[in-house]
Amino acid sequence: MLTLDPSEQKRLFERLSSIRELVFGIQDGVLTTAGVLFGLSGAVSDRSQVILAALASTAAGALSMAAGAYLGTRAEAEVLKGELERAREQARERPYIVQEGLLRELAKEGLDREAAYRVVKLLSASPRALLTTAEQKMYGYGGAMMGNAALDGLVMGVAFVAGALFPLVPFFLIPSKDLGLTVALGATALALFSVGYFQGWLAHSRQRWRSAVRFVTIAIGAAVAGYLIGMAISPLGASAG
Amino acid sequence: MLKPGDQAPDFDLPSAVAGRATRTRLRDIKTELVVLFFYPHDFSFVCPTEVAGFNHALAEFQAEQSAVLGVSVDSVDSHIRWAEELGGIGYPLLADEGGKLASAFGVLDDREHVALRATFILDPKRVVTYALASPINVGRSIPETLRVVRAIRTGRLCPADWEPGVAFGPNELKY
Repeated sequence: MLTLDPSEQKRLFERLSSIRELVFGIQDGVLTTAGVLFGLSGAVSDRSQVILAALASTAAGALSMAAGAYLGTRAEAEVLKGELERAREQARERPYIVQEGLLRELAKEGLDREAAYRVVKLLSASPRALLTTAEQKMYGYGGAMMGNAALDGLVMGVAFVAGALFPLVPFFLIPSKDLGLTVALGATALALFSVGYFQGWLAHSRQRWRSAVRFVTIAIGAAVAGYLIGMAISPLGASAG
Repeated sequence: MLKPGDQAPDFDLPSAVAGRATRTRLRDIKTELVVLFFYPHDFSFVCPTEVAGFNHALAEFQAEQSAVLGVSVDSVDSHIRWAEELGGIGYPLLADEGGKLASAFGVLDDREHVALRATFILDPKRVVTYALASPINVGRSIPETLRVVRAIRTGRLCPADWEPGVAFGPNELKY
């Protein structure tokens, strides 16, 4: 297995903080667009109307998801920042509280009390080292947790569009509606399978296939459900016309 | 928790004195008063201010015919290393492993299995004459303990914040 030095590993962890947005964006882009394609194909006979609706859905979905990811990460970071600022103020005013808290956490993790005391005392030589270690141990805060709102929003939006292209492109390129839907279904399954497999690979899971199959199952389930709902509501469209 | 008027239980515990392991028996202590203070743990960042504080004021307590004893649930070895870490402690640190003595004084925190921060002053008959417990995260005042020792030794009615040189209350009053 490839091993990284600690600084590279730290950078990788920081990049991986956007993995949620990447996986969520692709998955949602694939499923939403496939759902629209299959749902509308059941209800509307005109292929161009289906493509137009899928494109509109993709644009709206990508913007909405990107904005949601941006605002979500920003709100999380602001709350976290506020809490950390309070903790830092306490550390400045009453450092022994932080020292004692860190000592307890280290003791909980298996160091005997004396060893934990000596570690904290050594760290106390640098207030910054003491504080960052305390933040990690006492409050569970890691640098990657603060996130990057703009990056998360961008990753989410781009991932959504990338995911949407899998079912959309074959349906757009193949003139036959039925064949286009079949290939779109295959592309959807392939995209989700790949995302699931990729996620399993990132997690160093030995069951990458299981992760991939789970994604495909969800996709097929969503597509079938969307199609059935479209079929169910198509009489309403006919009566309205 | 024992209160003024209660007989203190006799004890015979391993202790650390001047960097070596020994035993400390209450009945062997011949001073007029005994200041027995419980603290949660060695190797903490709050307790040293008290343990070292009593050590700094040890000569003053001794001048008042009072022995000082510190007690926690740590081992004698731990006490020896802790005392060394603090630059040496001149009074015995008792190893109440298991917390039996703390329990007998009613100051064992059952949840944490450590002693509360509690101070008892025992009179010549080793009857509790003063008892105080503070929250586990709040250190005690050593000057206040010394003030109380001095006040007790007068045997007189001492008003609030009495200090040596301040007038006593009337002889005929009990309270």
